[in-house]
Amino acid sequence: MRRGATIAAVAVALGVSGVWAYQRVPSRMEEVARWREIAWPFPRDGWPAGRAFRCDGACEGAELYVRAKRGFCNCDRGVADDDEVDRVADVDLINPRFAAGAPGEEVSFNEMRGRARRYDLDMSDGVRHAAIGVAVSRRCDLFVAAAQGRGEASAMQRAALAFLQTQEMKGWVLAALDGQ
Amino acid sequence: MFRCVLTAAGLVLFAGSTFVHAQKQTIGAPPEASNMKLVGTNDLQARSAYQPTIHHQGDRWIAYIGHHGGTDDVPAPVNPMTGKEEPNGTSVVDVTDPAHPKYLRHLPGQEGKYESGGAQMVRVCDGKSLPKGDPNAVYMLRTFGSEAHEIWNVADPADPVLVARIGGLKDTHKSWWECDTGIAFLVSGAPDWRTRRMTQIYDFSDPAHPQKIRDFGLPGQEPGATGAVPTELHGPISTGPNGNRVFFGYGTNKGGILQIVDRDKLLNGPKEPTPDNLRYPEISRMPMSAFNGAHTTFPMLDMPVAEFAEDKDGKTRDIVMIVDEAILNECGEARQMVWFADVTTETRPMMISSYTVPEASGQFCQRGGRFGSHSSNESMAPVYYKKMAFIAFFNAGVRALDIRDPYHPREVGYFIPSITSATDKRCIPIEGGARCKVAIQTNNVETDDRGYIYIVDRANTGLHILELTGPARAAAGLPRN
Repeated sequence: MRRGATIAAVAVALGVSGVWAYQRVPSRMEEVARWREIAWPFPRDGWPAGRAFRCDGACEGAELYVRAKRGFCNCDRGVADDDEVDRVADVDLINPRFAAGAPGEEVSFNEMRGRARRYDLDMSDGVRHAAIGVAVSRRCDLFVAAAQGRGEASAMQRAALAFLQTQEMKGWVLAALDGQ
Repeated sequence: MFRCVLTAAGLVLFAGSTFVHAQKQTIGAPPEASNMKLVGTNDLQARSAYQPTIHHQGDRWIAYIGHHGGTDDVPAPVNPMTGKEEPNGTSVVDVTDPAHPKYLRHLPGQEGKYESGGAQMVRVCDGKSLPKGDPNAVYMLRTFGSEAHEIWNVADPADPVLVARIGGLKDTHKSWWECDTGIAFLVSGAPDWRTRRMTQIYDFSDPAHPQKIRDFGLPGQEPGATGAVPTELHGPISTGPNGNRVFFGYGTNKGGILQIVDRDKLLNGPKEPTPDNLRYPEISRMPMSAFNGAHTTFPMLDMPVAEFAEDKDGKTRDIVMIVDEAILNECGEARQMVWFADVTTETRPMMISSYTVPEASGQFCQRGGRFGSHSSNESMAPVYYKKMAFIAFFNAGVRALDIRDPYHPREVGYFIPSITSATDKRCIPIEGGARCKVAIQTNNVETDDRGYIYIVDRANTGLHILELTGPARAAAGLPRN
């Protein structure tokens, strides 16, 4: 029993550190990705518009959309499962007919925890795009990000998360969550 | 010149301080009221309150009041009747004499704070009205925190006995129970569904032996679906087998939907949660603005409208009153308010009017806490049904609306309780911290067959029992008091 518990604890620890390492290992795309701000491309909906960016670097053509969603009800549980990412992460703004390829994973950003998930999108021009959805929570508020592009989803996710970790974006996210 | 500047500055400062003072509620100040009068109060042990249900039980009137979980400061308030800390649950109050409500029992709920604990929802049916109920029993259906629904026998309201429990759920909320058939529309989060809240339909005609009928929701919410997930359920209201309609409200403060469903097809149609089967009982669906959600969808069918009395067609209208729920403090979102939909032509429902409290009438965006609507009374007792509606409006208290002409609803009274030392603060984030204010947060309202109005406070101020006065009383057709 004790041995089983030890194995489980080690597995959990390795898993958590693995996720962390996976997020932090810089890729070529992360090193050279440059995100340029573009106009918010979606029609007005229930949440105020956020900010949109297009990648000019190694992730050429990928787009990233980020915004705060204040007043999210799951105040204590936060973003606890993949269904929550499907519901809130704004991937439906890109294309409402998205399908997840695999279970998501835990992510943390700006001391907020949540989940990220990868999707396949069949775009109207017949081209298949990869997309990611990210949702993290701060008490009753959410910060969400969605990205799409023709490149590989995991690399796009790393590039997007690296961009969100810049001082400028961290400061903007906190201000947006404060309603400023 | 310098003296003039000083004087002007002083005047500006004085005016500013008066302005702030006018918006701030203070302990000891009288309630703000128009055509509504306070009859009695109870502090509900300073527990944050959600649904009150008033039940005529023998020769007594009993209020069953659901509570949210505790707060960060006080996760489990002390019950003075037991001397113990108890997680918020259900308050049972004898309101036979509304001037002197008597607290009978606190039935603890799930541990947890705010929406994660407590026992928010409550409905009550007599055993003798249920097809297979114990005729000597009175059954209370309540949520248990977010994880379960429970049925208690409250024949002795001071000593409830647990009858049945349906657990393993998440995000339980605002259920509906038909007392003549026993059919219950439970708001739950089933573990495999993609939405936080959907409908689980049960047969509680014999409350001791609940029978599951089916799960229901909007296509896209069911297990295994992909793509965008439609707005989650808030609560349904059924008109029973005679009306044969269930009005579902989806959303809280965003992306609201009114869904009109054929009750018979819902209960007896194919039950496997496939997109086609979920669409089968739907008559129509009316999307609202993305700015507003649907907390309460209260049907008032076959309403005579005086203005249309001479028309050859359409003299009576089927109306659904839709109430949004405000979520963010200090007006941090689009206004949540009240809408009236004409659903006479069921497949083409149309919004016909709206109501909100004028913000400037009380500088409500400055007072603290939430401002906007949350819920309405749901009693269909003749005393007010299709004549008067009562709306819980958070820091603007309760509002009495004359709805006899639903195309032109008109406020005829209001009551904003005084705050007390128990009233909890409400905060908004500011750079580097938070700014908090204390204000009333009228969360829910219900009426009884006698015409008393019961309002409860989310910010721990308790229960206030009110009656109409003056022109509002006359509009409701009540005798002078």
